Amino acid sequence: MNTVDRREIAKGVNFTAVADSRFKTMNICATALVPLNKDTVSTYALLTQVLSRSCAQYPDFTALSRKLSALYGASLTAGVRKLGESLALTFSISGIDDSFALTKESISEELSQLLCSVIFEPFFTDGAFDTNEVEQERRQLIDTVDSEVNDKRAYVNTRLIEIMCADEPYGVRRCGTAQSIRAVTGEDLITAWKNMLHSATFEIFYVGQSCADTARNVFTEKFSSLERDLFELSTVIVPRAASVLEHTECMEVAQSKLMLGYRSEEAGEDKGVTAVRLMCAILGGSANSKLFKNVREKQSLCYYCVSRFHRAKGIMTIESGVESASIDKAKKGIQAELDAIRQGDVTEDEIRFAKLSVINDFISLYDTIGGIREWYLSQLGYSSIQSLEECIADFESITKEEIVEAANKMSLDTVYVLTSK
Amino acid sequence: MQIREVVSEALKEKYYEIEHSSGLRIFVWPKEGYNSTYAVFGTPFGSICNNFIANGENITVPDGIAHYLEHKLFESEEGDAFTLYASTGANANAYTSFEKTCYLFSCTEQFERCLEILLGFVSSPYFTDETVAKEQGIIGQEIRMYEDSPEWRVMFNMLRAMYVNHPVRIDIAGTVETIAQITPEKLYTCYNSYYNLNNMALTVVGNVTLEQVTSICDRLLKPSDKVNVETIFPEEPYEVSKHYVEQKLSVTMPIFNLGFKCKADAPLTEEQIAYTDILLFLLASSTSPMYRELLDKGYINASFSYDQFTGPGFYSIFFSGDSREPKKVEEFIKNYICKLREEGISEEDFENARRATYGDALSSFNSVETIANLMEDMYFSGRDIFTYYNAIASATREDIERRLHEILDINNTTLSVIVGE
Repeated sequence: MNTVDRREIAKGVNFTAVADSRFKTMNICATALVPLNKDTVSTYALLTQVLSRSCAQYPDFTALSRKLSALYGASLTAGVRKLGESLALTFSISGIDDSFALTKESISEELSQLLCSVIFEPFFTDGAFDTNEVEQERRQLIDTVDSEVNDKRAYVNTRLIEIMCADEPYGVRRCGTAQSIRAVTGEDLITAWKNMLHSATFEIFYVGQSCADTARNVFTEKFSSLERDLFELSTVIVPRAASVLEHTECMEVAQSKLMLGYRSEEAGEDKGVTAVRLMCAILGGSANSKLFKNVREKQSLCYYCVSRFHRAKGIMTIESGVESASIDKAKKGIQAELDAIRQGDVTEDEIRFAKLSVINDFISLYDTIGGIREWYLSQLGYSSIQSLEECIADFESITKEEIVEAANKMSLDTVYVLTSK
Repeated sequence: MQIREVVSEALKEKYYEIEHSSGLRIFVWPKEGYNSTYAVFGTPFGSICNNFIANGENITVPDGIAHYLEHKLFESEEGDAFTLYASTGANANAYTSFEKTCYLFSCTEQFERCLEILLGFVSSPYFTDETVAKEQGIIGQEIRMYEDSPEWRVMFNMLRAMYVNHPVRIDIAGTVETIAQITPEKLYTCYNSYYNLNNMALTVVGNVTLEQVTSICDRLLKPSDKVNVETIFPEEPYEVSKHYVEQKLSVTMPIFNLGFKCKADAPLTEEQIAYTDILLFLLASSTSPMYRELLDKGYINASFSYDQFTGPGFYSIFFSGDSREPKKVEEFIKNYICKLREEGISEEDFENARRATYGDALSSFNSVETIANLMEDMYFSGRDIFTYYNAIASATREDIERRLHEILDINNTTLSVIVGE
C-alpha cells in the first residue's frame, strides 16, 4: 500500500517520501523547527505569512494565487504550531496527482519548485521584504490573534497553557500577541529568514502516487549551497506541580468553561509515556471513557468533557463546557474519576476498550494524507520514528498496574475557569 | 434486490447502488488499500421537519425534536450504543442537520459487528419520561455552547432575518423552552413517521465488499410497510425579511455573513450546483480582483469564504469571514457582481476557475468520511456524485455567464454581523 523512503539530504534536513497509490492528490510539507521563545515567536509567525504570499517567481499575491488555480486549484498554506518547546514553521503545498491532469502536465514538479521558491527565493525589493506585503500580512496576523478569542473552546485551551506555563517557553502563544506582532521590523524578518535557512532542523514530507525524486532533488540542490549550524532544540519538563493555581476569568458567555492542567512526570520518549497516553484515553478519550460516561452522561454535568495528553511537554489537560452553577460539582466529578483510576478502579474491559479505540484511531490516521504526515511530525526530535506496528504493540503491552501508576504520577497544577460576571 | 454498478472511468472509482428488499437504499463504495470503513445510516428527518402529514394526519412538533431524537436513539433498555461499540474500537457519532439525521461509525476491525450495532440501535427506539428528562440538561448545555459561538450565531441570525416562514430559520437544537415540550410520545410519533427503511439510506465506504453489506442487511432488515410522510412547508416569499441584523457577543474580531436569497421552487441539478461552484470561485476566491481589492483595503483577511446552502424549499449563497468593515465588503461584492455581468467573463478566468473547482472536487475522493457523507447528502437531494463531477469537467464559459445572470440578486440580501461588546 505504501513505502517509506527517509533520507538526510543535508545537515539537519530529512526528506521522507511516502509513496501511496491510494490518493488522488499529493502533498509536500516542509517544516522548520526553531526554538520557541517570546522574543522571536511573532517574527517567525509573520515570516511564514510573508513568505507564502508571493515569491521571486510570482512577486504578487494575485499572480501566485492564479498560478495555483491554474494548477487545478493547488493550495499553498503556511503557519506555525508548537511542538513541545520548539516552534514548527510549516509550508505546505497540495495538488492533484499528475494522472488526473486534463492535459499532460507534471503538477508535482511545478508544485515542488513553487514550494522551494517560496522558502528560498522570497520577493525582495532593495534586498528587503516589501513593506506593503509585510503590512498586509501583519494586519491579517493580528486579525488571526484577535479571532482566537472568538472560538471559546480554543481560547480557554490557550489560556490554560499560558497560565500554567507562565514561566516556561511552552506558555508562549504560537503567534505571540498583537503587541509583539506590531513590534516586528523588516530587519527582524530578514534575520529570522536567514536563521531558519541556516539553523532550523527541517523535515520535508512528500506523500502521493507520483515519484518524489524531482521534489527531493529540488530541495537537495537548494540546501547544498547553505552552511548549516543547527539550533539546540529542547523541551523542559516540569515533573510535578508544586502547588495548585486557581484562575477565574470573566467574560459574557452563555456556557462556562472549566479547564484542569496536570503535570505527568512522563514526556516525549520516556518509558512510561505509552501508559500515560492509554490512561488519558481511559479517563477522557472517547465516548466510553470515564469522563464521558460519568461526568456527562450519568451526572448530566456538561456537554463535553475530554482529556488530552501533550506528550512533548508532559502535560495533561481536561476541558469541559458546563453550566456556571455546576462548575464546582464538575470539578469534583472530574477529579473523582482520576482518583478512581489512581485507586485501581479500572476494569479489564475499560483497558481493552481504550486500547481498541486508540489503535482504531491510529490505523484510521493512515487513511489520510494529513494523518500520515502527522504520524511523522508528532515524533519529530525523537531518537527514532516508531512505526504504526511498533506503536500498536507498545499499547497492547500496557498493564493495569502501569495505568494506575501513570494516574498516580499526575499532579494537579492549574484550574482555569471562564465564566460570566 | 436490485444491484447497479456505477463507474467513473475518469475518476477511477466505482460504487454499488442497491435497492434492498427491505426498502432501504444502500450504497457500497469499496476503496482498495484503505484500512478503515466508514458507514452512515441516514433518514430525511431534520430540523426543518417540524410540520408533517403522516398517514393522513397533520402533525406539528416542537423545534429541536429531530436533534433530541438523535441523542435519545443511542439509548436502549439495556444501555447505550457506545457501550456496544466499545468492544470493536469503533469511533461512533451522529449529527442532525436541516434536512436529515445521520448515524455513523468508523472502524478498522469487526466491521460486520459494527454494522449490526448501527442497524440495530437505529431500528430500536426506546423513549421513557426518565430518559427524555435526563437529556434536557445535556442538550441545554449544547444549546448554550452554540449561543457563544460567533460562527454559529452569525449564520443563524442571517437565516432568521432572511427567511420569513421557512423552518430553516429555526436553530437545529431548538431552544431550552421548546425542548422542554418534548415527550416520549412525540418522539415516537416522529420516529414512526420518518425512521422507515423505505425513506432511509445506508452508505458504506472503504475497506468493505458488497457481499459483506448485503449479507448483513439480508439477515437483519425486514421489509416494512411504507409510511406516507410528507413534510409541509409554509409559503415562503422570494424577498428577504430583513436586510441587516447585528448581535453583540464577546468577540475581539467582528465577523459577518452576507446571504443572497435565491429562488428555491425546484431542487437544484448537478449542473446548477457545479456552475455555481465555478462561478463563486471566479467571483470570490483569492484569484479575483475583488478579493484583492478587499484585502488591500484591509476589509477582509484569509478567513473570507463562500458557500452554497440548499435544501427542500431554500437556496442561498453565503459570503462570510472576519471583517471590521462588513458593510464595505457587502458594497464591494455587489459592485463586482454588476461589473462582471456587464463586462463578461474572460476565457482565462473561466478556465482557472474550472480547473480549481475540478481539483477541489477530486480531492474529496481521498477520504472515506467525505465520500460517505457526500453520498448520503446527494441521495437525499436527488443528485448523483459522478454527474456533478462531470458537470465541472465539461462546463463552458457560457454556462458560467448564464449562471451569473440567474442568481445573486443584489437587492435580495441579508447581512448578518457579530460585533464585540
